[in-house]
Amino acid sequence: MADPTELLHGTLDTLVLKTLAWGPRHGYAIARWLEAMGADALRIEEGSLYPALYRLERRGWIAAEWGLSETRRRVKLYQLTDEGRARLAVETAQWSRFADAVGRILHAPIDAT
Amino acid sequence: MPELGRFARELRALLWKPTVEREVDDELAHHLERLEAELRARGVAPAEARAQARARFGDPARIGAECREIGRSRDRAYRRTRWLEELAQDARYALRQLRASPRFTLVAVLTLAIGLGASTTIFGIADAVLLRPLPFLEPDRLAIVWEETPSRQAFSVSEPNYLDWAARTRRFSRVAAFAGRTANLMSDAGPEQLVGAGATHGFFPVLGVAPILGRTFTPEETAPGGDQRVAVLSHDLWQQRFAGDPRILERTVQLDGVRYRVIGVMPRGFDFPGQVQVWTPLAPSMSWPRADRRMDAMIGRLAPGATEEQARRELSAIAAQLARDHPTSNTDWGARVRPLTEWYVSPEMRARVVTLLVAVGLLLAMACANVASLLLARATARERQMAVRAALGAGRGRIVRQLLTESVLLSLLGGAVGVALSAAAVPLVRRTGSAAIPLLSTMRLDWRVLGFALAACVVTGLVFGLAPAARLARAASPSRRARTGTGPALHALLRSGTRLADAGAMRNVLIVGSVALATLMLVSAGLVGGSFLRLMRVDLGFSSEQVLTGSIVLPEDRYQPAQVVAFFDQLTERLRGLPGVRAVGATNIAPYGGGNTAMGWAALGREPANRSEYPIASWRAVTTGYFPALGITLRQGRLYDASDASAPRGSERTLVISETLARRAWPNAPAVGQRLRLGNGQTARVIGVVSDARLLAVDSAPAPTIYFSQSRFAFPSMWLTIRATGDAAALTAAVRREVAALDPTLPVARVQPLAQLVSDATAQPRLTVLVFGLFATAALALAAVGLYGLIAFGVAQRTREIGVQLALGAQPRRVVRGVLARGVRLAVVGVVIGGAGAYVTAGALRAILFQTEPTDPLTFAAVGAVLLLVAGAASVGPARRAARLDPVLALRSE
Repeated sequence: MADPTELLHGTLDTLVLKTLAWGPRHGYAIARWLEAMGADALRIEEGSLYPALYRLERRGWIAAEWGLSETRRRVKLYQLTDEGRARLAVETAQWSRFADAVGRILHAPIDAT
Repeated sequence: MPELGRFARELRALLWKPTVEREVDDELAHHLERLEAELRARGVAPAEARAQARARFGDPARIGAECREIGRSRDRAYRRTRWLEELAQDARYALRQLRASPRFTLVAVLTLAIGLGASTTIFGIADAVLLRPLPFLEPDRLAIVWEETPSRQAFSVSEPNYLDWAARTRRFSRVAAFAGRTANLMSDAGPEQLVGAGATHGFFPVLGVAPILGRTFTPEETAPGGDQRVAVLSHDLWQQRFAGDPRILERTVQLDGVRYRVIGVMPRGFDFPGQVQVWTPLAPSMSWPRADRRMDAMIGRLAPGATEEQARRELSAIAAQLARDHPTSNTDWGARVRPLTEWYVSPEMRARVVTLLVAVGLLLAMACANVASLLLARATARERQMAVRAALGAGRGRIVRQLLTESVLLSLLGGAVGVALSAAAVPLVRRTGSAAIPLLSTMRLDWRVLGFALAACVVTGLVFGLAPAARLARAASPSRRARTGTGPALHALLRSGTRLADAGAMRNVLIVGSVALATLMLVSAGLVGGSFLRLMRVDLGFSSEQVLTGSIVLPEDRYQPAQVVAFFDQLTERLRGLPGVRAVGATNIAPYGGGNTAMGWAALGREPANRSEYPIASWRAVTTGYFPALGITLRQGRLYDASDASAPRGSERTLVISETLARRAWPNAPAVGQRLRLGNGQTARVIGVVSDARLLAVDSAPAPTIYFSQSRFAFPSMWLTIRATGDAAALTAAVRREVAALDPTLPVARVQPLAQLVSDATAQPRLTVLVFGLFATAALALAAVGLYGLIAFGVAQRTREIGVQLALGAQPRRVVRGVLARGVRLAVVGVVIGGAGAYVTAGALRAILFQTEPTDPLTFAAVGAVLLLVAGAASVGPARRAARLDPVLALRSE
């Protein structure tokens, strides 16, 4: 998937939810965590993270609060809400089923039919 | 204190929350800076680091714009939920406040209940009478047309004139005519007189209402010579008399001894021209004499694009042409076109209802003023509380909202009690009023009226809540003053509970206003009530006590004139023989039995040149027994006797006339022996003059009246008038028995004491008195509550001052006098202002007053005295409490 706009709809949102599952983070930290987990393979523009954050906030899945960063700067810290946590569980289950099905199809022997 | 924590958090959020623009810019800039710094730390050159960071991030302008948009919609949703949460919180808080001061809540809720209950009831009346559209298709395109006499009175429509109108009009797309008629229905239950109406075939289509069963009349059935033995039934008659038989169209009904085929049943609630049970074909004919053969009226539906004004002009032109074509019958006669609503609600009635609406508006204003003054009194006590809230960061708008929530809640509570009161009043009003206003029978508390009540509650709550809320918000604004550095007002307020002097002034204005409104209402009620008493005491010229009446209609095809005379002769003879009967008579129209008859007259030898200029008298066909039965006395000459009855047909008529007519015809000479020329050209000789009687309306002077002898006139439709020695109603069964003995198919309709008809005739003024009486009581109660509230709170506020006075040795009696004087002084100002207002506006009542001047000084004086007494009584309690104050406690009370 070379073009980031082709990233499956909602996938980035799910990844962000997952990032926040371990505790509050600011936007830059989320980007670094995703990078560390190998997300550059997805070729996400780091900036597109922010619309995703605002979207999730609007839906009430994450909440933001202003706090101090490790560099003593005032930053917006995001954390999962209870709804967000529930949502993440649902998304994870859906992804597993989806990946499973796609995987079975792609790896099926040619003469199976 | 959880409230403190909440406000602290809100305050912090308010100060620290950046705008969406800053929030997004900050966040994106932070990210880019960190990214760039990290790249530089890995040894990338500064310019290269910036370019790489930019490449990995994407376009900050595009991304920022996207974030800002989502952020804004996020904030809007947040504000909405927050608003709802706050509203719920405000409502809970308001309920707590109201529970905390039950006496205040009770007084305020009752005050509002009176105002809102009265408004709801009156709106219900207005809705039923004025606002609800008639149950016809596009009712505002319907008009009713009468003829107009040379003296500009509405008059029934002659058949040939109607046919000419119908043929020539272009402004009406469709017209029809109708005529009320009674029909005697014979069924297993015995004979019964039905209210019927004759209608031309256009009648139902003009109104735009289709039958639920069968059909209505064809043009052939309403043409002269057509098959007219067909009938359309009302829903009620079909249900009650035929048990809703679905095969009713295969049946016949016997009306006046003749079989009619049932061809249709109208839907429930269809009722025109009024209480009709059966419609039969009306076949107007060109061959009748133009002046004599008359139907009730014409109805018409305006053609597309035509206005009522155009229709009026067109029919006037047609009437003028008819006058040229038929000068003997039509000279000076015109056509009167009116909206169909006028068939139900006269302009006078409309004025009456509008007067009521204004009155109830005033009452509601009074209730608002009273509750506002109560709230203001309480506001003083709550200034501290508001200051605390303001200190915790609640903005002025937030405080106003909190207080308005409280007042709207109060008003909703009042409205709920008011609607309950109204629900109790509606049946009373319906009972008292529907004789005067038929549409009132449709009055009920439905969603329209309840919707009005709800709207009135909310508006009322806002109106009376606004002044106290604004004042409290001002009191709470020291937080703002403190921020802008104008002084340590909050501090001072918290410590001392400073009172603001303008509260008292504003409350005085409200109370004076409330007393003034009460004066206005009481004066109006007093005038209407006094007028009613005069109306009840008016000399009707006849006595309705112990008189039984009932209507008999002889079917014309079975009773020729001679048989009509014989029938009523025999019947009166038989009735006279009954025990308990003192006198028996009959007349074609009972007093207030509905309808009237008119005839031109002139003293012989002094006739005006043109017959259309003859003055008009009412006429009645009566039997000799009529006069003693009603207590109308002979003034000159003699009553009818056998010689009049046996006079050969064609000989000159003999006449008994009323005093007024005699005086007008021959002002300077005895009337007996004189001769009159009647409007039909015949002459007649006066043999007797009887005392005047108000037969048409209680509140207008007796009309000049001509009494024809029934023995010569042979009128088939007559009312019996039977004077009893005791209770008239007890004769009912005997009367029915005697009629049945003569003709078992004849029903006697509307059998009732004559006093009932008289009482129905005064239903309209009685309704007005009832409603004004309710208003006056409510206004008086409101004024008393308002005065009491003001004075009691005033005393409570001046506790310290009174304490000082008492401590310095003031006599308690002087304290009492001071408080009393203050209350009465305010009341005097209110009474003077209200009295002046009433003096200026009472002229509007002139139309509904009877023999009463709108500026009747006695009424004004009495109202003033009553209100001052009430003011005094309302002051006594608080005054005595003030005098009993313990000076020491009073001084400490701050």
